[in-house]
Amino acid sequence: MDLASAGRATVKMATEPQRPTGDARNAKEVEDAALVARARSGDREAFGVLVDRYADQARRVARAVLQDPDDADDAAQDAFLAALVKLEQYDSARPFGPWLMRIVANAATDRRRRRKVRSAVSLNEGLVAGGARPDVVAEREVLLGRLRVALAELPERRRLAVTLFDVEGYSHAEIAQVLGIPEGTVRSEVFHARRKLRVLLADWRDDG
Amino acid sequence: MTESHTPFDHRPDTRLGAALREALTAPGDRTAFVARVLAGAARQPAHPVEHLLARWAVRGIAAAAAAAFVAGLVIGRGRASAEPSVSDPDPGAMIADVQAEPNLLLVAATGR
Repeated sequence: MDLASAGRATVKMATEPQRPTGDARNAKEVEDAALVARARSGDREAFGVLVDRYADQARRVARAVLQDPDDADDAAQDAFLAALVKLEQYDSARPFGPWLMRIVANAATDRRRRRKVRSAVSLNEGLVAGGARPDVVAEREVLLGRLRVALAELPERRRLAVTLFDVEGYSHAEIAQVLGIPEGTVRSEVFHARRKLRVLLADWRDDG
Repeated sequence: MTESHTPFDHRPDTRLGAALREALTAPGDRTAFVARVLAGAARQPAHPVEHLLARWAVRGIAAAAAAAFVAGLVIGRGRASAEPSVSDPDPGAMIADVQAEPNLLLVAATGR
């Protein structure tokens, strides 16, 4: 299998993000609000359900900022614990996901500032992964490595915008709330990120 | 990779999203991560003191406001009922009726 077909297979094999329909989204938000209400009253089981629901998303968003998976997990954990403390401040009339993702993004950014994690680490990792290897798994890693490199090269806000929009399925308005920027700026950030990533993916496909 | 999408597209790019999702998914054990978070949460008090105080402060302010309102109503009603009626005698006329002692008037005027 050439590199291009390996890439196409990779994309097909990956779990595609499911943007929930309006009803499903509302039902989820209602459930989240109920869980938050229980967690506020000290029900740790309800908090556990929330953690379970948002663990993957929080880890990915943190990794979009930090690149390093261990750092990202630490930041995501910090964020969940901070969210537990701040639950009283959460406005249950609004969706829980964007509120939590804002905390996650802030926790990851704080950690990056403290530890001064440099994107050069990921860049090197990506360059090493760029060498052609025969097996499909390795080719798949080539794609993933290059994607990580491309992400690392984007400004942080752009990385978060495209991750929240194309990976996590949040709306522009919700991302604006998460990042604390105007909706138009979110659209612009997603646009620029996509343009950069698609160029890179197109180059990768041509390699085969 | 995503011929059907333009960068201006307002819909999520599912193919790019899927690739990014895989690139960002942590290799570590998800269950272990959740357990780690819950262990951290278990070490935190269920209701931190400051949050309890904050709750009480809000309730206290609301109760104080309600009490002040009720007190205002009661005092207002009390004053309304204490105001002189038309049939009450004129205080000025009552003072004029008093036969003032000259010495008393002098003391009042000099302040001694």
